[in-house]
Amino acid sequence: METMKDLSTYLEERGSELSRLKKEGKKIVGYVPGGFMPEELVWAGGAIPVGLNRGGDYDAALKSVEYIPRFIDTYSRSQIGYWALGEPLYRMPDLVVVPCTDKNIETIADCLEMWTETKLFKLGVPHNKSDHAFKYYLEGLHLLKEEIEKLTGNSITEDKLKKEIDLSNRMRLLLRQISEMRKSERPPISGRDYLKLHHTSFRADRDFMVRSLESLSQELKGKEGRKGPRIFLVGSSIAEGDYKIYDLLESAGADVVIEEFSEGMRPYWQEVESDGDLIEALADGYFRRKTPLPAFFRPATKERIAFFLKLAREFRVDGIIWYSMLYRDSYDVEGIYFGRRAEKEGLRFIKIVSDYDTAERGPLRTRIEAFIESIKGQ
Amino acid sequence: MLVAGIDVGAATAKVVILSDGKILSYAIIPTGFDVVSAANEVTKLALEKIDHSINELEFIISTGYARNAVPFANKTLTEILCHAKGAHFLLPGARTIIDIGGQDSKVIRINESGSVVNFTMNDKCAAGTGRFFEVMAGVLGLDISEMGPIALNSSNPCQISSTCTVFAETEVVSLRAQGRSREDLISGIHKAAALRVATLGKMVGYERQVVLTGGVAKNIGVKKFLEDEIKMETMVPEEPQIMGALGAALLAQAELGKQ
Repeated sequence: METMKDLSTYLEERGSELSRLKKEGKKIVGYVPGGFMPEELVWAGGAIPVGLNRGGDYDAALKSVEYIPRFIDTYSRSQIGYWALGEPLYRMPDLVVVPCTDKNIETIADCLEMWTETKLFKLGVPHNKSDHAFKYYLEGLHLLKEEIEKLTGNSITEDKLKKEIDLSNRMRLLLRQISEMRKSERPPISGRDYLKLHHTSFRADRDFMVRSLESLSQELKGKEGRKGPRIFLVGSSIAEGDYKIYDLLESAGADVVIEEFSEGMRPYWQEVESDGDLIEALADGYFRRKTPLPAFFRPATKERIAFFLKLAREFRVDGIIWYSMLYRDSYDVEGIYFGRRAEKEGLRFIKIVSDYDTAERGPLRTRIEAFIESIKGQ
Repeated sequence: MLVAGIDVGAATAKVVILSDGKILSYAIIPTGFDVVSAANEVTKLALEKIDHSINELEFIISTGYARNAVPFANKTLTEILCHAKGAHFLLPGARTIIDIGGQDSKVIRINESGSVVNFTMNDKCAAGTGRFFEVMAGVLGLDISEMGPIALNSSNPCQISSTCTVFAETEVVSLRAQGRSREDLISGIHKAAALRVATLGKMVGYERQVVLTGGVAKNIGVKKFLEDEIKMETMVPEEPQIMGALGAALLAQAELGKQ
């Protein structure tokens, strides 16, 4: 697929492009892509948002323990580790926005605050959807808007924000349409390529990304991919570079046809309204109507499980792989609830917990291969 | 029509040679450092017993943690599937298989046709595996085969609270220094390991008949304490260590039938 190749080349060069833009005076706003940070505010303020979402290397997770205890989840530890290892993308931001969804993610902010000179913005994410919770999140977005305006010296006008919301809506719609193409018996796009669209979008220019998704959408029409066991991959975080589950599934003849993660995916199930009070519209789209909510969210467990089961049915999955990070306890617990419900519905389910460790690879291969063997009815 | 199943595990390499559903020969050797040599040697050993050569094997399936390293295998399958097939072949009433090998332990639920319905296995931790018993035998200066019978000779097993092999070793050394008897210590070690494996299996549940496979199934202490934990009787095939290789050989035979 030409577009996938172009995106891969683009991503390789994007780091240097971002450095150049920064030297030319553009402000870079890093953020943890957990679905609660409206990029539209950053673009409308004339800065460039960059999702900090690397993972999969044990070196980074290990490096972090020089700064924090080991018992923080692997994904959050890795974000701290990449900064500590001097990863350019992690050293580039003029401001880092951390939507504090739980203590693990908040630790990224705490650690950067404690050990670095990085300018930080902790965006509070309440754990329920009451009116006062909505007002709290909305107030956070107003403060973030002011922070970005202060950083760039530009004011975020209604016109600029509307343009960015429309553009982001276009991106969300295209991602959804491409995802839904995988409901077919022979999905035209592999699970890995689909996930890479999300990962690329975290640091691509949004105009470029929308154009790429439009051309990919055209390329995929009428295309037929491989047929094999259909997997729903779901859990806490799926980082850029952490593709081991995809490798193992592909070598076992299976593939991911639908996925849901709190960190590492762009929310794409609903658009943001682009009229009325636009900050309120962002709070409504990114918080009040957001689907699915993370595992810790009350009363998200039941809602999320119902949503996941709906996805499992619509995408006609043969099995579910719950993939969460070590020490991310809220997801660990939810994995057990979801597993029991899924099995009651006759769906095969397996729970995998990862620490990005090389020692886990052997048992992981056996688990995944045995899971696929059991789906094939051997 | 000769077929073979080769199970190259963390501690031992096993092979079963099958002809028309009958076990003609089998062999077990330590895996050692070189997994390819172990696969070659164990196969050669089993074939020598029946005066056959490797060229006469019409289909070979490898399994076990080094399954992908067996150069002469026609196909690889996981040990989960193979243990299920092997145990079900010998004991058709089997519905739950507890396989405790050198490096990992698994609880596998199967249906009446021997297909895997659900399974769970330990992660990278060695707790409740053959390696755990090897380390403990080393600490107590015993041969691993002596451990099981001694474990049954205590009326007051020590409480070993840590199932981590490294921490349990420290705990055992400390209890030994407190003057606890060898029987109480060994019994406590078996109880702790059995509890670990029994708890692991609760995620998939236990259904009768429960069959123990893998090298650790030969340990009568583990069998007793596991039965106490899961409150069910367990069955051990005559040679539990070759269940994976037997299952692989049976699947090799089925593959040949498809051709």
